[in-house]
Amino acid sequence: MRFVVRRLLLFAAALFGVSVVVFAALRVLPGDVASVMAGLNSPASRVEALREQFGLNRPLPVQYIDWAGGLLRGDFGTSILTGRSVTSLIAARASITFPLIVLGLLIAIAIGVPLGVAATLARSSAARTAFHVAGLIGGAIPALWGGLLLILLFSRGTGLIGLFPSQGFPLDGWAAPGQAIWSLILPALTVGIIVGASLMRYTRSALGDIAGSGRIDMAMACGMTRAQAVIGVGLRLAMPQLVSVIGLTFAEMITGVMVIENLFALPGIGSGLVTDVGNRDLIAVQSELFMLAAFFLLVGLIVDLLHRALDPRLATAADASEVTA
Amino acid sequence: MSVEIRGLNVAIGGKTIVRDVDLNVGDGERVGLVGSSGSGKSMISRSIMGLLPANAHVSGSIRVGDRQVVGMRDAELADLRGRYMGMVFQNPAASLNPVTTVARQIALPLRLHYDLTKTERLDRVRAMIAKVGLPDDVLGKYPHQLSGGQQQRVGIATALITSPRFIIADEPTTALDSIVQRQIVDLLVSLVDDAGASMLFITHDFAVLAHATTRCYVLDGGRIADSGDTAALLDHPSTTQTDRLVSAARTLSLVESGEA
Amino acid sequence: MTSDKTSRTSHTAAQATVRVNANVPAGPTAAIVLHGMWRRGEGKFSIIVLGLWLIVAFVSLFWTPQPLLATDGYHVWATPSAAHWLGTDGTGADVLSWLMAGSRTNLLIVVLTVLFAAAFGLLLVAAMVARNGTLAGASVVVVDALISIPTVLLALILAVPLGASVTVIVVACGFGYGLNLARVARPAALLAARSSYVEAALASGASGWWTFVRHIVPNTLPVLLVQLSLSAGTAVLAESGLTYLGIGVPSGVPSWGHSLATSVKFINVYPLTVLWPGLIVTVVVVALNVFGDVLRDAVDPMVNAELRDGAAGADCDGGTLSDPLRAARPSHTVGQRTAVSVRGTADTDVAGRRSA
Repeated sequence: MRFVVRRLLLFAAALFGVSVVVFAALRVLPGDVASVMAGLNSPASRVEALREQFGLNRPLPVQYIDWAGGLLRGDFGTSILTGRSVTSLIAARASITFPLIVLGLLIAIAIGVPLGVAATLARSSAARTAFHVAGLIGGAIPALWGGLLLILLFSRGTGLIGLFPSQGFPLDGWAAPGQAIWSLILPALTVGIIVGASLMRYTRSALGDIAGSGRIDMAMACGMTRAQAVIGVGLRLAMPQLVSVIGLTFAEMITGVMVIENLFALPGIGSGLVTDVGNRDLIAVQSELFMLAAFFLLVGLIVDLLHRALDPRLATAADASEVTA
Repeated sequence: MSVEIRGLNVAIGGKTIVRDVDLNVGDGERVGLVGSSGSGKSMISRSIMGLLPANAHVSGSIRVGDRQVVGMRDAELADLRGRYMGMVFQNPAASLNPVTTVARQIALPLRLHYDLTKTERLDRVRAMIAKVGLPDDVLGKYPHQLSGGQQQRVGIATALITSPRFIIADEPTTALDSIVQRQIVDLLVSLVDDAGASMLFITHDFAVLAHATTRCYVLDGGRIADSGDTAALLDHPSTTQTDRLVSAARTLSLVESGEA
Repeated sequence: MTSDKTSRTSHTAAQATVRVNANVPAGPTAAIVLHGMWRRGEGKFSIIVLGLWLIVAFVSLFWTPQPLLATDGYHVWATPSAAHWLGTDGTGADVLSWLMAGSRTNLLIVVLTVLFAAAFGLLLVAAMVARNGTLAGASVVVVDALISIPTVLLALILAVPLGASVTVIVVACGFGYGLNLARVARPAALLAARSSYVEAALASGASGWWTFVRHIVPNTLPVLLVQLSLSAGTAVLAESGLTYLGIGVPSGVPSWGHSLATSVKFINVYPLTVLWPGLIVTVVVVALNVFGDVLRDAVDPMVNAELRDGAAGADCDGGTLSDPLRAARPSHTVGQRTAVSVRGTADTDVAGRRSA
């Protein structure tokens, strides 16, 4: 229980830290925000007007408190460029990105874990080499290239087998769920295959360590076959490690997701954020970066709590580091 | 149940570990297998149980009861394991499943081989717990909450819960301190004898061997170097290898308990 | 295994790795390590690919098949020919020339990122194993919290004031991979920091930093090698992703990511041009990922028998005699235990950060 409280406090502190870092980075780093927003060679009066309009001439702490206070109330500010509320902007984009991430992760798990188990159980050295090489190559494919190859294979119009739309998302969004999901399949497959290849390697090496241990021998001595023992006991024992890996993978997936959203012309958080950075839409960028960082801190929190709950040795130990070491 | 090994060879990754081994365990007999570490003892027990790594190559004959184990499919062997053959491992801390409770651990062979209701299983586990001298409250605990000796009692209970006719004890006392060692060996011997099962007891310690077995084989470099009545071998070692092992045991001053 | 032998071999491991890393032209050891790598199929593959990369990057300084800015207006999107071995892109520029020149940029990015990550990561490790408990505890917590923040977010923050630039890639990736490195290397470093020879070094008046560099860093080398080579591969992937997003290498500067991104726009019309840059990135990333594994094994005397036989006698005993601290190393040495525990950690516990 003490651990949970401590971890929650850390989460709150990290949220605060991230908000400060994001806020400060966009102001302290070289380049005056207002003149960056105004564009090159714009007259000083225009820069001054922008400062005035967005309150950039107020002291930094006042600006921060204003922004952070808004965050707490769920008000993420107003986009400089479009005048729309950033809150609704993020909500609209998340309705595409979130399903994409979840679908991609599910595909990755569906590919990575069973293949990792198969690689562990493979008896012939040829099969083991094949799994090893497949994992290495799959994890080394740039997301952009992987997406292109899938488009060349499966997209309507250009693909060898025209199955899925290669671009865009239905304009009316999730009003037609079937269509929406259909347009997410190729992007999710791209992310899923690449992440799945890495996940397969981690599953294999985590299971490999356990499969050589006395715990698998014990389960087999009780009457399990090797396959039953590796799947029934090994996977369960590897679970804490796999949850950690999946958590980290989840965080790193976002670069690939941004690339994929751009490639498939999906108006999600990733492609939106890139557009806003290109447009120097300071307020929108600031709130979006914070929201994304907060999301991944939350994932980190969930992973840590799960990790602990999955291992009774950690759950009862006074100090977690003593047992894991 | 008797076990009969003839001309057993085990190679791992092309390296021969066990050469041409013949070994018998009669019905209800307790037989020892002794040798220094790396002599191939564990490979023999693993060959019987079918627990060798994927790159191992086994030839020769191993008959457990009337079944030929060499070349048997894993699924068939799995049906023998935990039902007719039980195994007690060297290091209980490294072999008990750390994420299951003691009750579930001991019940595992029952669940895999017999169609019992939950209460029937729990009744048997309770009876077994009492036999190995553990208090009732360990049932809901996890292995890491028990002492080393208690953990090994759980290991023994798991191996014996289905009353198998043949038990392999693979250095069951090595990971324990000497007072607990004695208790564990006594417990194992009395339980095996009560059940009328036979046992192959593997160790590198002659003092323990004298307690646990009546007859033994001495393994050196993968070959049987010596065999015979345990007490006689201890008094009159006939080969240098046996002599070396026996005198090593004497210097450890554990031998006085060996005469009992 | 006798205790004497154990301490000797692990001792060699530390020495050998130090020597290889410092690029001291010590003939025999370097040759043995290279030979050890070459003996494995994966080692051959990574040495050939990375060697070719270096050669091409060097050659491209003086020569490319066509000048970079030369555009052949009559042969836009040309298929491979004698004049344009890999064809041309939409402006009629030679694809091969741009890929060759791009290898330079990618090499620069990878080297700078790895240096940044190593320096930052080791700094964090030093803080995490510090004698000062508050500092150690705080740095562990900070690393744990920051590690879940994706590299690309940092890149985006940097890109607001800086625009697209190599600096964005190097700083963002170096920072992220440094955090990862610190987390993976910590167990090995902690084991070394608590060992009796570090106690002895400190007791005999050695400074904390000297002890860290001389005794703790060498013990983390196996993890370091693997993790840094993974980071190098991930940096190549990150370059292609960030450049495509417009926050990596600026337009007009050749890089593999640039070649990939330019070919994307016309994927529907000229699908073949996208083949080469993607293939090169994939092959190089595989080579980098494998490189660390193979190198780690080749500098480990427990694995590489040649190293054991060749270097054990002369080198080691000399070292032991001249260095009383090393002689004082306990028989259950840290070197060996870390190598083992670390292998588990490096392979299983930590996801190499991947981007794009």
